[in-house]
Amino acid sequence: MNRGSLSVGKRILGTMAIPLLAFAVTFLVCAAKGVALFETQGNFLAFFRATASVMLTTFALSINLNSGRFDFSIGSVALLSSVISATIALNLNLSAPAMLVISIIAGAVLGLISGGAYVITKLPPIIVSLGMTLFFEGAAFALTDGYGVSFVTKAKLTGFPSITNYILVIIAALIVMILIFDYTKFGYEYKALLSGQSVAVNMGIREIPNTIGCYMIAGSFMGVVGFLSATNTGTIQMSLNFGSIGVMFTAFLPMFIGGFIGRFSNDKLGYLLGAMTTALISLMYARLQMDSSVQQIITALILVVFLIYLNNENKLVELRMLKAKKTP
Amino acid sequence: MKVRNLIFNMAPVLGLLVLVIGYFVVGTINGINVTYGLKAVVNQSVVVAVVATGAVFIYTMGSFDISLGASTAVSALVAGMVYLRTENLILTFITSICVAVLVALLNSVLAGVFNLPVFVTTIAMLSVLNALILLLININGTGSEVKVPSDAVKSLDTLGFKILILTLYFAICVFLFDYTPIGRRQKFLGGNPLCAKLTGISINKYSIIAFVICGLGVGLGAFLSIVYAPTLTRSTASSVGMDVIIAIVFGGMPVSGGAKSRIYAAVIGAFSMSFLSQIMVMFNLNSGVGQMVKAAIFLLVVFIAAGERKTRTLPR
Repeated sequence: MNRGSLSVGKRILGTMAIPLLAFAVTFLVCAAKGVALFETQGNFLAFFRATASVMLTTFALSINLNSGRFDFSIGSVALLSSVISATIALNLNLSAPAMLVISIIAGAVLGLISGGAYVITKLPPIIVSLGMTLFFEGAAFALTDGYGVSFVTKAKLTGFPSITNYILVIIAALIVMILIFDYTKFGYEYKALLSGQSVAVNMGIREIPNTIGCYMIAGSFMGVVGFLSATNTGTIQMSLNFGSIGVMFTAFLPMFIGGFIGRFSNDKLGYLLGAMTTALISLMYARLQMDSSVQQIITALILVVFLIYLNNENKLVELRMLKAKKTP
Repeated sequence: MKVRNLIFNMAPVLGLLVLVIGYFVVGTINGINVTYGLKAVVNQSVVVAVVATGAVFIYTMGSFDISLGASTAVSALVAGMVYLRTENLILTFITSICVAVLVALLNSVLAGVFNLPVFVTTIAMLSVLNALILLLININGTGSEVKVPSDAVKSLDTLGFKILILTLYFAICVFLFDYTPIGRRQKFLGGNPLCAKLTGISINKYSIIAFVICGLGVGLGAFLSIVYAPTLTRSTASSVGMDVIIAIVFGGMPVSGGAKSRIYAAVIGAFSMSFLSQIMVMFNLNSGVGQMVKAAIFLLVVFIAAGERKTRTLPR
């Protein structure tokens, strides 16, 4: 579908349809059960925290996955970068913004290691990411002797969670993502490599620096995810044997929603709206105190139904055209 | 050139040999009972080896199933609950196979009928199965476990039984993979799906066959899990899903599938990883450091086995 050929009204409708539908459904379901979707400040805080975390994870996942590079290690990057930043912040008595900066830098360095291992070994990215996941999880465990990190009593660090801070994080990340991928040479080369790898390389685009850059950007975003998670609870718990990959699965639904919305506007904005959609659904689960097993089943069903629609859209159009032909 | 190719092809087998020798040398130097350790290696490897051997059929077609661990757990839980109702081990065995095959069928039919990428279907299935694990444990009443009496499965908790199951299943898979059109056509589909389709090979049909064979392995793995650890909890077979991927890759199987796929990769990979874990235990390393060393060795072996890469572009 050519975005330019659509009218402004259709583009706005296409962009906002899913999040508005999600809001209407979650609002009505909660109302039917006699509960308000947004009642306290805590509800808003939970909504913006979930939006920020899921959006950043979706950015990190999509940067490489859209290029055919499946990366299992993003969860372990979030884990290890938060361990590094929290340990440094505790030892040097730093503030939350300083911890955030260290987390971003640590995430970028871990992304550099991951991307470096990929371009040096030239193994399929999925294999390298399996090895790197084990490596980063092991490193986080070894750094903390398996006890994790706790800073519950450090108000300087646990004071970060607030609606304003989460909104600032969301806006900053969205601007960075749009600037890098839509308005720089790096972004143009990324898109060229994405749509025609061999042609782009033959044209002289340097794939290796671009790939490493992608891993570093994804790592930085996951550094922020690690920071948000750590400052929310004041603790960082350890994971071994791929325990960290669960984080990645939260990003699939928003990524597919973002891809759909991208046809009407901008895919990065789509990822934000996709993250807001999943955050609304999560908030509804919390407000209705639904069992976690029921939550997982409903989320999986939404994902499957949405994918069935996306993968069979052309058949529906054909069916409609066939019906129109038959009608005299 | 031929010698070089031979070395690349044999790298996983050589890796396993080095690990076995390393295990005996390190064990003997540290004065550890290596025979007892061998039992642990078999117990650790057998479930992964069985499940991964079946999964080779899916990988050969260039597909990928991430829900195998959760499927093993659900099959084991349902079978365990059947045992608690009937106290019949044969029925328990049949249930674990049926549930696993049913889940596999659902995965493949969903992907086939609705034209979904297999990997994405298995991600959604992973979520559903993980939820089912919680539900099944809650339904059982205790809220945290489904406990099959250990006396009931004690007679089967022997190395002989486990190796027998693995050998029988492996033999069936070798036959299907190397000596029937099933394996050949699946390799063709993995190597060049368009060409295979144009010659009249049905992707859906062979995808369903691959998932059913894999489901059989998952069912056997689930039963072996009950035999080895009859108290079933949320963590039952929790690491199997990722261990299967690691084992297959470690054993020299290309993730893109195709003609270079090897049915024995899963068994070699599963035993290699277990020997490696045992060596780490013998060195008494911090669990984190042990996992880091394991990751480095995994990447090194796969790198050597992958051989020379001459393409100008990076693999995807």
